[in-house]
Amino acid sequence: MILSIKDLTVSHGEKTIVDKVSLTIDKGEWFALVGQSGSGKTMLSQAIGQLLGPNLSASGSVNYQGANILVRPKTEMNELRGKAISYIFQDYHGSFTPFLTIQQHMDEYLQTHGVKEKQKRNSMIIEALESVGLDDSFVKRYPFQLSGGQLQRASIALALLLEPDILIADEATTALDSVSAHRILSLLQELQQKTGCAILFITHDWRHVVRYADKIAVMKDGKVIETGTKQKLVHQPEHAYTKQLIQAAPTLPMRVREVSKS
Amino acid sequence: MTVIEINHLKKSYNPDKLAVNDVSLSIEEGESLGLVGESGCGKSTLARCLLGVERVDGGSITFNEKPLANANRKDLRDYRRNVQTVFQNPTASLNPKLKIKDSLLDPYLQFQNELQLEHFHFTSKQAFVEQLLEIVELPKELGDRYPHELSGGQKQRVTIARAISIEPKLIVLDEPTASLDVLSQGAILELLATLQKSLGMSYLFISHDLAAVYQLCQRIAVMKDGELLDMFQKEDIYNSRRHEYTKELIGIF
Repeated sequence: MILSIKDLTVSHGEKTIVDKVSLTIDKGEWFALVGQSGSGKTMLSQAIGQLLGPNLSASGSVNYQGANILVRPKTEMNELRGKAISYIFQDYHGSFTPFLTIQQHMDEYLQTHGVKEKQKRNSMIIEALESVGLDDSFVKRYPFQLSGGQLQRASIALALLLEPDILIADEATTALDSVSAHRILSLLQELQQKTGCAILFITHDWRHVVRYADKIAVMKDGKVIETGTKQKLVHQPEHAYTKQLIQAAPTLPMRVREVSKS
Repeated sequence: MTVIEINHLKKSYNPDKLAVNDVSLSIEEGESLGLVGESGCGKSTLARCLLGVERVDGGSITFNEKPLANANRKDLRDYRRNVQTVFQNPTASLNPKLKIKDSLLDPYLQFQNELQLEHFHFTSKQAFVEQLLEIVELPKELGDRYPHELSGGQKQRVTIARAISIEPKLIVLDEPTASLDVLSQGAILELLATLQKSLGMSYLFISHDLAAVYQLCQRIAVMKDGELLDMFQKEDIYNSRRHEYTKELIGIF
């Protein structure tokens, strides 16, 4: 077990957005959190890294390496974020500063986390970009010179730079077309197998879940209504809402064996 | 009967590259044709040419057997009425200052003198709006609301109601479900299928989602880098003669 969430509640004044959610994520697994917009899945993911806005408060516990990180002081949390827990967001333009090159972003990231030697930083950057299929010509480019898929690759490279234990991907492919999305997710799967990090994968698209996830939790109105292995949730969903989500995503029919037409 | 025919269409925004490169296709009456491809493949550019918001750089578009290039004002007006559109972003498609009922009435009021409606009946503005809201399964009271008071899925239903209100021959659907929540996506696809059955218009359904296209369309065209690579009846999707790129797309879903 790498992360264990117990009775996590996020509220905005009187209003409860995430309602006593408990989940455990094991080492190296792909954990999918599925739900409609407004179900609270993003708030849950942001509470984990203490990224919630000032008007939101979180209670309960998020246990990482035996301690509740919800109550970690800010400075210690800064060290943890990026090194142990990192994020990829839906809005890839918002993830980058427009006037910094890709290299400058990654260099800052490494410096913040204490990689002192410039040469080492440079080689790490080039290696990380290479691992997501971006050659060294991308190093000096600005974010606007990259396509959406390329930017999302760069943010994966950034997020995996320090080999975190858990990567939180919040609708990381929702803004991309399905071809680019598929390429990004296969890449993520490949890198996961290489680095062994766990992925908390937040999505509303059941088709991605079916293909990549090991475990699934379905969220509705701030609560986790059903959770289990992929096998169980895909083939024997108990909750009517889970069935509804499965049916809503269009799929191609099962491939019928080709009859030779010659 | 063929509703629209596109022949060797070309469009470019910069001299080195054609955004739409020699594309030919046609859509029959009552048919829905799906156009699939990834971002930047030229599918939306093709739609914009079809809608007349872009000038074409080569080739022709023929509507009702009349080429658009030598259409007069009356023909063009007729074309505008008969080719309606639903875009990806319903919020941007509705005037925020107009009540839903006024947005819904606008096309009818523009064309009322030359319209002969078959399915809808105009007795009063109120009744017409209610009729439209009902067919897209929205409550009547929404007519008096403003767009910001509706959800994304509801707004997209309004833009669909507006598109069908003057009974066009063809509706160009440019990623109509891409900005919607997963449950609304499924519901909108079902609604579009039902409307086509009852009203009989044709669709050009543009999407990167092959499975959604498969659900709604009878025929599927695949575009990449401005070119039309493949076109087939949906039953033939698993045929071994499919283009390699089509097979790659199929593998994703």
